[in-house]
Amino acid sequence: MSEPVIEQKAALKLDEQYCSRCSICRSLCPFEAIKKDVETGKTLLEIEKCQVCGICYSACPARAIDITYYDSDSLIKYLEKVKPKYDSGALVIMCKGSAPDFAGVERLFGVSKFIPLSVPCVGRVADEVFLAAIAMGVREICVLACDEDYCRFDRGSPLTGRRVLALNRLLEQLGYGREAIILKRNSLKVKVDRDLCISCGNCAFYCPYGAASLESPGGAKFDLDACRGCGLCVAICPAIALDLDNWERERISTLVSRLVAEMKSPKVLVFRCQWAVFPPLDGQFGPNVRAIDLPCAARVDTFHILEAFQKGVGGVLIAACSEEDCKQEKASGKASHSITVLKERLKQIGLQDRLHFCSVAPRYPEQWDKELQQFSQRIKDISKGRRK
Amino acid sequence: MIVTAQKPLDEILDSISPYSSILIAGCDGCTQPPRGLREAKTLSQLLELGGKLRGKDFQFKVTTVVKQCDSFLTASALKPQMEGVETVVSLACGVGVQTIAELFPDLPVLPAQNTHFIGAEDREGGILEARCTACGDCILARMGGICPITRCAKGLLNGACGGAKDGKCELSPDKDCAWELIFQRLEKQGKLDRIREFRPPRNYQAKAWRLTP
Repeated sequence: MSEPVIEQKAALKLDEQYCSRCSICRSLCPFEAIKKDVETGKTLLEIEKCQVCGICYSACPARAIDITYYDSDSLIKYLEKVKPKYDSGALVIMCKGSAPDFAGVERLFGVSKFIPLSVPCVGRVADEVFLAAIAMGVREICVLACDEDYCRFDRGSPLTGRRVLALNRLLEQLGYGREAIILKRNSLKVKVDRDLCISCGNCAFYCPYGAASLESPGGAKFDLDACRGCGLCVAICPAIALDLDNWERERISTLVSRLVAEMKSPKVLVFRCQWAVFPPLDGQFGPNVRAIDLPCAARVDTFHILEAFQKGVGGVLIAACSEEDCKQEKASGKASHSITVLKERLKQIGLQDRLHFCSVAPRYPEQWDKELQQFSQRIKDISKGRRK
Repeated sequence: MIVTAQKPLDEILDSISPYSSILIAGCDGCTQPPRGLREAKTLSQLLELGGKLRGKDFQFKVTTVVKQCDSFLTASALKPQMEGVETVVSLACGVGVQTIAELFPDLPVLPAQNTHFIGAEDREGGILEARCTACGDCILARMGGICPITRCAKGLLNGACGGAKDGKCELSPDKDCAWELIFQRLEKQGKLDRIREFRPPRNYQAKAWRLTP
């Protein structure tokens, strides 16, 4: 018997009733997911192509697009809620793709206390959110976008540039000064310790962007302009000679320890690609689950998975994009292969069921919920079986 | 490169079971991917997890050597690490294991790899394949650069045997017939007459087991 086809709830919807057919969304969509029906003139959304970057949502003048994640109302409500907690007049809106840690933000913008708002692409934040923040009493808005050619959604960062320019003009007229919103750009790249490099050439072979090459003599050399920070080379380097800005091995290790300590058994640790799963703004997991966001599933390091098991985690779940959706030139395919290899080895000691790799996409939010729920149940069952 | 494959974890766990303080020594040379520091660390983590399930609590130290087949390099990398170590698990080929064994006569050395052949890697295909038998009497110049000793299942010097089907060996159908490859290459180079030359039995005495550099 074939399984019944269940229509999945999509994360983005275009409401025909409100659509004025202005085509702004169509011209901005980086993935050609919005089409115009030649016969009827209607604007159509092809959800399978949509990557839920939210650019169309942020730009639609008719508010005809509904989005599940980070819609303006939710963002504004969230800011209202957290503003007293941070007790600061500065707001930093940053893209997860290039946001450094708090100390890094401090260095970039020269703000010591701030309200952090981290989203997958700042291009999705509509004008109304900026204005609402200022109305709320925020005195300084700092925006951290990715370097333009580093933007995972292609047009998110350039659009942010134009948006900030227009908003600043408007705010100046309203008497908020010339630069009420400060825009900076950033990107996170690979770091190499050539003293540790053994010239095996794996980084040069696997880099999806041709950013790595091997100098003989000398070792691995990186063209940082070409590096897009997926972390694939870092996770495979046999000599542990590479690291990635903001996703350093040590930093992830510290995070693993902290999260494991605050979880209750049976513990499930998730390594998720930040483009595969968009977490809710203040979304907390239950006591048994914690997650670590990574720039791509390719950054998932065997070392950190095994470290989690060593520290008593019951199960490790990897959430990746499918190869077609991968924002890093199909690096998620390589990630899937590495996990298969590790699973084979875990099988030899009977731990294979405690590691799972799944491909999900934010366009279907329930897909991820289901994967997590199923895996958590599996780990619960396994640990019950152990106790018997 | 010398090509090795991981031993099953069970076998390694069995071999280390009498000991508790263990040094895992990687080798940065030869095989792909190199069994260097990352593999040494990964193996220590897997063995620790496997040990716990067996009720054993192992203590691991990990290190790596540029080339374990070089006794000088191996000695200088390992000697400072040996205090309290009861056994060394080597991630190198059989040569590396024996280098360590000779350097530390009182210490048991355990291999974590099975050594298979001298071969080449097809990275796109993700395959490692035997290319050289180290026979000590290289005939590649006459064979269009393809070694029949290694790549012909029968090791024929005067091939082909006639058993190949569709270019594949009759003994292992997933393997190309080395003699067909030799024929094709010599044909391309216009040197096909060479295939008719009679090649007398090889001189097995040419194979050395000890040389001076």
